[in-house]
Amino acid sequence: MAYLVSHPDEVKVISSRFGKGAADIDRYLELDGYKAVQMALQMGSEAVINEVKASNLRGRGGAGFPTGMKWSFVPKESAKPKYVLCNGDESEPGTCKDRLIFEHDPHAVIEGAMIAAIAVNAHKAYIYIRGEYRYLLEIMQKSIADVYARGFAGKNIFGSGYDLDVYWHGGAGAYEVGEESALMESLEGKRGVPRIRPPFPAVVGLWGGPTVINNAETLASVPHIIMMGGQKYADIGTPKNGGTRLFCLSGHLEKPGVYELPMGYNLKKMIYEVGGGISNGRKLKAVVPGGSSTPVLTADEIDIAMDFDSVAKAGSMLGSGGVVVIDDATCIVKFALRTMQFYRHESCGWCIPCREGTDWLNKTLTRFHAGGGLAKDIDNIRYLAENMLGRTFCPLGDAAAMPTIGFVKKFREEFEAHLEGKPCPFEKHGAISQLPVMSH
Amino acid sequence: MADAPKLVNITVNGKKTTAPAGTLLIEACKQIGIEVPSFCYYPGLSLQGACRMCLVEIEKMPKLQTACTTPVAEGMVVNTESEKVVQSRKAMLEIVLANHPLDCPVCDAGGECELQDMTYTYGAAESKFIDIKSHRDEQQWSPVVFFDRPRCILCYRCVRVCGEGMDVWALGVQNRGQGSVIAPNKQDHLECEECGMCIDICPVGALTSGSYRYKTRPWEMNHVGTVCTHCGDGCLTTVGVRRSDTGMEIVRCDNRDKSGINGDFLCVKGRYAFDFAANQERITQPLIKRDGKFVPATWTQAIELVADKFKQVVQKDGPQAIGVIGSNRTTNEENYLLQKFARLVLGTNNIDHHRTADFPAFAKAISENKARTASMRDVFEAPAVLLIGNDPTEQHPLLAWQIRNNVRLHRSKFYIVNSQAIKLRRQATQFVQIPTGAEARFVDFLSGNDAAAGTLTQAGASNENLSQLRDALKGEQNLVVIFGSELRGADISALVKFAAPQNAKFICLGDYANSRGAADMGLFPDLLPGYATFAGAARYQQEWGADVPALVGMDLKQMFGAARDGKLKALYVVGSNPVSRYALDPFVLQAPFVVVQDMFMTETAIAADVILPAAFAYEKSGTFTSTCGDLQMLRKAGDVVSVKSDFEIVVRIAEKMGYDVRKLVPFGKGLRADMGQSRGAQSGEADRHSVWLQARGLEPKVSPFDPLATLDEIQRLIPGYDVSQINLVSGNDEHTQLVQIQNASIPSHPELVVPSNDTLFTSGTLGRYSTVLNSVMERRATGKEVAAD
Amino acid sequence: MGFLKNVSAIAKGMSITFGEMFKPTIVENYPDGPGPLRGAVFQERFRGMHVLQRDENGLEKCVACFLCAAACPSNCIYIEAAENTEENRISGAERYAKVYNIDYNRCIFCGYCVEACPTDAITHGHGFELATLNATNLVYRKEQLLAGVPAHVGQNVVFNITEAAKQKMITK
Repeated sequence: MAYLVSHPDEVKVISSRFGKGAADIDRYLELDGYKAVQMALQMGSEAVINEVKASNLRGRGGAGFPTGMKWSFVPKESAKPKYVLCNGDESEPGTCKDRLIFEHDPHAVIEGAMIAAIAVNAHKAYIYIRGEYRYLLEIMQKSIADVYARGFAGKNIFGSGYDLDVYWHGGAGAYEVGEESALMESLEGKRGVPRIRPPFPAVVGLWGGPTVINNAETLASVPHIIMMGGQKYADIGTPKNGGTRLFCLSGHLEKPGVYELPMGYNLKKMIYEVGGGISNGRKLKAVVPGGSSTPVLTADEIDIAMDFDSVAKAGSMLGSGGVVVIDDATCIVKFALRTMQFYRHESCGWCIPCREGTDWLNKTLTRFHAGGGLAKDIDNIRYLAENMLGRTFCPLGDAAAMPTIGFVKKFREEFEAHLEGKPCPFEKHGAISQLPVMSH
Repeated sequence: MADAPKLVNITVNGKKTTAPAGTLLIEACKQIGIEVPSFCYYPGLSLQGACRMCLVEIEKMPKLQTACTTPVAEGMVVNTESEKVVQSRKAMLEIVLANHPLDCPVCDAGGECELQDMTYTYGAAESKFIDIKSHRDEQQWSPVVFFDRPRCILCYRCVRVCGEGMDVWALGVQNRGQGSVIAPNKQDHLECEECGMCIDICPVGALTSGSYRYKTRPWEMNHVGTVCTHCGDGCLTTVGVRRSDTGMEIVRCDNRDKSGINGDFLCVKGRYAFDFAANQERITQPLIKRDGKFVPATWTQAIELVADKFKQVVQKDGPQAIGVIGSNRTTNEENYLLQKFARLVLGTNNIDHHRTADFPAFAKAISENKARTASMRDVFEAPAVLLIGNDPTEQHPLLAWQIRNNVRLHRSKFYIVNSQAIKLRRQATQFVQIPTGAEARFVDFLSGNDAAAGTLTQAGASNENLSQLRDALKGEQNLVVIFGSELRGADISALVKFAAPQNAKFICLGDYANSRGAADMGLFPDLLPGYATFAGAARYQQEWGADVPALVGMDLKQMFGAARDGKLKALYVVGSNPVSRYALDPFVLQAPFVVVQDMFMTETAIAADVILPAAFAYEKSGTFTSTCGDLQMLRKAGDVVSVKSDFEIVVRIAEKMGYDVRKLVPFGKGLRADMGQSRGAQSGEADRHSVWLQARGLEPKVSPFDPLATLDEIQRLIPGYDVSQINLVSGNDEHTQLVQIQNASIPSHPELVVPSNDTLFTSGTLGRYSTVLNSVMERRATGKEVAAD
Repeated sequence: MGFLKNVSAIAKGMSITFGEMFKPTIVENYPDGPGPLRGAVFQERFRGMHVLQRDENGLEKCVACFLCAAACPSNCIYIEAAENTEENRISGAERYAKVYNIDYNRCIFCGYCVEACPTDAITHGHGFELATLNATNLVYRKEQLLAGVPAHVGQNVVFNITEAAKQKMITK
């Protein structure tokens, strides 16, 4: 059981059942569970989509696409079966929200997926959970078994005449599969590599059928929207950014953890009040606002509202809500290197700029941090990252390039401090000894 | 057929153009001469979008888009040369080159490498990166496939061509990210059809050919386009030759220029099995048997001996005492000349060849039903294909490729009737397995005899399957019907009769490179060229200015019988091995005077009195007719000193026998000669002047050894062969129809048809002497099929 | 006037002639001079007979890339490539020149081959005595063109394992 934190500013919607044992189906039913899906069955597809549209719910996976609109793109008539897919392949460094949902409220995801299926008239829903979340798979497996045992899924659910099957599927440990088309490939049993788009999943998706694919948190919000009404949900957040979301505060904070805050909550307040300020009384250096793939914000740039549009205006992205706080004792070059090591390891290898780009950024940053940097390397790093940006097959290349560009742009002086064979100024011991082993 | 797709208007670099809706942008650009570079895009294979070289700017799209995955849309405005695009292209090359070793001087692809070309074109000469490149050791995957990982840029062309094109699925990708590596299906080695498509399709030098490896450089060779010498499909192959001690050595064969019917396709035989030409055991000088032992002789001695003996036999025992056996692997001109030699010079109709399909019956069936034959190109475009018997994957690899890709790219229907579960069944719309040898009964069933169905159902096909198939076939218009040597004689007639009303086209499968040509050229004791009976000999006598012997000759088996009975005094075997093919007793050849023209000491050659070393297809010019009837021109590529083409040998023997060579070969016609001095064309260069002259028949055929003079005669005499010579000369294929042949009394001898039963890794005598073919392990383990993906 | 002009012109000319008579000779005393070059003196840039270089390990630098043959305007270089093996290592890269012939009947000493060489294997030496009475002698083989094995490698060339094994056999 993960340790739960709380703060008075929190608005508990998704997390309303956290810590209440809702993984148990009886307890979940006591807490108004599976009422929304029954309401949805009565409302019918059109009304459900309208309700979700009214809620201004935007995808919680990172891109922030309006969920209601996504659902409305699915063709009404289709020769091939339609599918609903829950993306629970939460792998973004700094993000740990879906984990809590699967642990504390798995039925909310199931119910959300069922409502989505009803909305697009699909009869099969898959819940794909990150392979490393082994213990969550077991929880999900039991939850789905319970749902079937109660007759909530399968043939004729809730006596409505509607057939709906719900399946779970475990990943095999690839960050790349968090990308929706790669996830579909993986679910089909193939190599987890992204697909060419268009066609988009809403038209040609899983096994060629129209597919709705949503983040686990998005789907977990849906039952609440149906219960409380779209407008009421929208009112919690800022215009165009409805509701609340789970922010994962991590890094050098006094009180890190997952907090459910309304959209548009101030970042500075989030760090200093909700997160309890920087640990050990140090000073803030930088913040990564939305998981490791979003560009960094400096200490001067954090007085912003945390919604999709405001963060974008500040030159970064709200992403998956993983707020990583970096204090002034951290070497940004090393942070960039650590980030790049991750992306190099997770690049699927499909397209050249991402495969080679992450590898060479990793090589250069490794040498650079170890004191072997040349003045031209700084520009080379930026050049390489800029040429990956927007040119790779899928967003993974962007995810690796964007933060790197941000680090070089905003902390160039720290890069320069590593030049001329100088050891990393933040390392207590000689920098050379910190050189990670390069694998070829 | 569906309506032609709607045209949409697009603008590329300010040029306005139209393209059918759904065309990929990269193809639309190519149409108007704008090149968009790409590694991973390959026409005919699934889209990849992996190399990011083809990024272009499209108006209203914020990011650069890949031209290889974007279909054109109405009003699209594209810029392929904007500053952003040019910069991106250069950066992509820099990124590719970051880890690509710069070992061009030792790389086999150096000089014909797409990455090299692009680096020169788009400029990424300087490397920004100073870190150590990743390295992996080179691997050998099979005797013919080597893989050098660091050079690989992971365009996945090899994986796709192996899976989608060949349906072999022997290559895949292991690991991910920087560790991604192309891997063979058996851990450290390949078990596949060894076609080598992966090598040719590789844009860089990552996959290299075991037989060509490190031998020479592309610019050191002359590249000569000619026709493959193995099976009857008529693939064009580009032979790379370079000078050596003994003439011109053949270094490699491929078809990267995508010329011919086969595009870039070649099978293991076409790509690697040329090495028999340089085999140590090849006979390279005339041999005369003295006291039971072969003794080397000069050409003059040998030809004189042969001519004298032939003349003696004709004078003493009459022309009926000489037999001539022709070849499935000599050119049309040589076959034509040989039958003319037998009929006019020797004065006998005792001429035959190893028959691998019942072409006379096929010709009869086609003309009776006014049906048409299909070309190899038709197989790729037909809306439906029916295959009865044969295993094209093994025996007709190009045919299999055409069928597979027709099914994959055009969604055509494909019906198979076979006694074995052949590999092509994976592509089949319907596959019906019938008992061995029941193909004829199946045709009977097709023709309406429902009772025949009862004898077909043993191997798993139900009555229902069969009826379903028959109904489906009756509903197919423009069907292409392909059948193997399982069907002969009257069965062919019945099949043609069944399908002809639906506008079907037909292919009869023969085994060797020029089996069809040998039949078309009249290597029969009872048929003249073009399947004409002696009743129609007048045309020929007029052209030849001599009488055709009236007596029907002996077929191959009868000749051996006559030899046993002592009636046959001389036998002239050209490029054939009847002793082995027909399992005949070689001892009957002890009595007659036997002359064998061949490359190797075959079972028949051992029994010879004189062996004349012959050149093979890559060492001479002429034409081949593929089993479909596609006529193509051979060009001389290789050369071995002291061997002669069969054409030259026959002419020389005739001349020594005192025959007027001018009557045999219509040479010396044409205009005043420009012998090439004024053209300045060097070998290997396209000689437009010569092409122009040849195409108009103006090229002087000044030598009696020039087969093209005979081609003129063939074109005049044989119905269906009067095709455009300009197309032939410029390396294209011309389909010859059998329709004009009107003769109901064509004799057919089904019992003489002996299929060669070659597989992918055997090719008659030539295959026996090919080191590469014998070295691939699949040769010993045929019949194993690699599972589909 | 005309006469005086002529006399002075002759005197001027003769003064140079007589002056030169007492200066030391600058004609090379080839072939009667001292040393292995027998009096011949070269500029460093002189392009003479080619030398195929070896690397510091005594391996041949030539990797048989054929670029020299491609660059050669008189088409006088003939190469046959072969692959190095573990047992028989001739050059540092994957392959080496099994046959490397230069036809000095045709060579025009332009130096393009040297410029083309990516491994600095072929260089112009100062060898120049190429005259012969028999033209066939002018096709120089690799063995004639190769530089000597560096002194520090000496006789212990271990790259050719089969050779080494043979030598061992002989010494036994």
